[in-house]
Amino acid sequence: MSDAELTTPFRQRAGSAMKDEFLQEALTIATTKFIGLRREAFAGFPEGEALRDRARAIKEATLQHLDRHLETLIANVERLGGHVHFATTPAEARSIVVDIARRTGARMAVKAKSMATEEIHLNEALEAAGVTPVETDLGEYIIQLAHERPSHIIAPAIHKTKGQVAELFTRELKRPAEPDPEALTRIARAELREKFLQADLGITGANFAVADTGTVVLVTNEGNGRMVTSLPRVHVAVMGVEKVVPSFTDLMVFLAILAKSATGQKLSVYTSLVQGPRRAGELEGPEEFHLVLLDGGRIAQIGGPLREALSCLRCGACLNVCPVYRQIGGHAYGYTYPGPIGILLTAMLEGAPAVRDLAHASSLCGACVDACPVRIDIPRMLIELRREVDDEKLAPWTERVAFALLTKLLQNPRLYRFAAKAGRVLQRPFARDGRISRLPLPFGEWTRTRDLPPVASRTFQERWASDKDLRA
Amino acid sequence: MTTRAEFLERIREQVRMSPGRSPASSARRPQHPAAEAETIRRELVERWPETLEAFRREFEGVAGVFHRTASIDVVPAIVARIAHDRQAREVVTWHSAALGADLAPALGACGLDVHPMPAAEPSGGAERERLRTLAARADLGLTGVDLAIAETGTLVLVSGAGRPRSTSLLPPCHIAVFDRTALVESLRQAGVFLEAWHRDGRPPAGGSAINFITGPSRTADIELTLTRGVHGPKEVHAIFVEQPIRG
Repeated sequence: MSDAELTTPFRQRAGSAMKDEFLQEALTIATTKFIGLRREAFAGFPEGEALRDRARAIKEATLQHLDRHLETLIANVERLGGHVHFATTPAEARSIVVDIARRTGARMAVKAKSMATEEIHLNEALEAAGVTPVETDLGEYIIQLAHERPSHIIAPAIHKTKGQVAELFTRELKRPAEPDPEALTRIARAELREKFLQADLGITGANFAVADTGTVVLVTNEGNGRMVTSLPRVHVAVMGVEKVVPSFTDLMVFLAILAKSATGQKLSVYTSLVQGPRRAGELEGPEEFHLVLLDGGRIAQIGGPLREALSCLRCGACLNVCPVYRQIGGHAYGYTYPGPIGILLTAMLEGAPAVRDLAHASSLCGACVDACPVRIDIPRMLIELRREVDDEKLAPWTERVAFALLTKLLQNPRLYRFAAKAGRVLQRPFARDGRISRLPLPFGEWTRTRDLPPVASRTFQERWASDKDLRA
Repeated sequence: MTTRAEFLERIREQVRMSPGRSPASSARRPQHPAAEAETIRRELVERWPETLEAFRREFEGVAGVFHRTASIDVVPAIVARIAHDRQAREVVTWHSAALGADLAPALGACGLDVHPMPAAEPSGGAERERLRTLAARADLGLTGVDLAIAETGTLVLVSGAGRPRSTSLLPPCHIAVFDRTALVESLRQAGVFLEAWHRDGRPPAGGSAINFITGPSRTADIELTLTRGVHGPKEVHAIFVEQPIRG
């Protein structure tokens, strides 16, 4: 997302997304389909519920000794001949990768889909250093050609029609393309195959890293993760510190639920376990392997209010079920990570002020908790964030004053009774057919998108005081 | 730049100030993974037909093509038929030691151009490039299988000398040959084998990549339309050989 787009207020971004008819249809179809696939996958997998609890317990146990697990991981990566780097900020992470590219004389980098490298805006930095980054996941490739950002964690280009993709390929690749997904995929295969074979540098994220063995685990459906880690001379994996798991036994628990939550597959097509550079006797694999451990705000949350969000597997299940995401899509959120978990991750990476508006982009319905493979209590943390936003006086003053008055009112019975009586009188000009559809400024903001129920002609307290039947 | 010491110290500090809030426990690692893996194999000596049937069902469920044959000697004919149906000639294969049998002569006799990968590391960059180009140009890639997971219809391939990663990746059609010794029932059991392989620090073939392959390469990135063969193979065949391949 460019800064220019971010200067548009969230409400406006969401508003224009809701007026985009194609986006609305695409979102409904995609999210509904993902919900169904996920439900089916778990329906045929009775042990799934227990595995979700185990997965969460493993994440929690790993966080409690994160220092030790990372030390083990580092020692094992180095034992295998890999190099480990440490990045506190996105800027540090970028300069580490750019330095590796410069030192190894890389001119083209092929990238497998990685939210971590999206998060640190690596592509712009590579370009500035004269290295051409090529996204190789089909969806990411499309949005890179279109100079956009992903709109869904696992389906980055769901906001585009096949017609738009065909136009894009015709224009950018200078070859005529029919609006047929099969044909478009064939074109992308041919274009990207060349790049895989030419590129000097392969860049990936990591779905997991196994401390015990120094293994980086990549999950893909297309096979680009395998290409990127097998063909170029150098492989760099950029990974948030929370992605480490202790052992292969732990890894299997996550693999059993990850794809089911994301796409409803029992397992994604390719799960690649890569360990260090190529070994003696091997034909392929990189000569150099680098692991970049990224903080970017994660470490401070190990003991912070957003700790639970460090268990996120980036499956996208919470996006699909979120009534807000389903209406506005990924771009309106304005940051790398969209959806309910995205709000928490944005607060983690950018600080609470960044989610002043986003913290309210949730109905707190809890559908995300039910869908989350590791049952992250997203609404609880959103409420905490709202409180923090309020404590730091980040909300507009009108909102803060209104809620301060309401708090007073609700704490004082006499004031409350008086307000009910006053309200009954004051609402007369506005109440029609048992609802209030329009209020004068500044209250008009409330009724702009919804009705307000009027104060009842007899309040509950009045009925309680006079009506014996009620008390019987 | 952040140093390793600073980075880890900040994590240590956070870990110290944050007692766990919810239930926490890592998975119980097998105490003696090699022995446990052996037990799994022994139990499957009895149960393999059911496990194979489950594998077939799941493998076909992810659009894999399953074949079954009595002995390894029949495999070249099956490969030749797959090739002829696709008017394909060029075949890259794992080295005979990695496959468990030397199929090159028989494949050649069926009219295919066979390129077995060498058991030793290529002598230089040019040779490495030549072999990679062969794999990139080939129509079919023939490999062995280290584990076949019934629960998910997954083929697990360990890279190493004579067993390049590209054989199962670059050609548009991947054919994998396995016998009952590769069968396991579940992801959990596969985990036991992974633990056993790494207990002495190295996987069996000494390679740096282990790939779990569950059907042909796929994407649904354009309007959620399922399309196969985006980067990896468009087709994956698994040939089950009834008589153990290594005698």
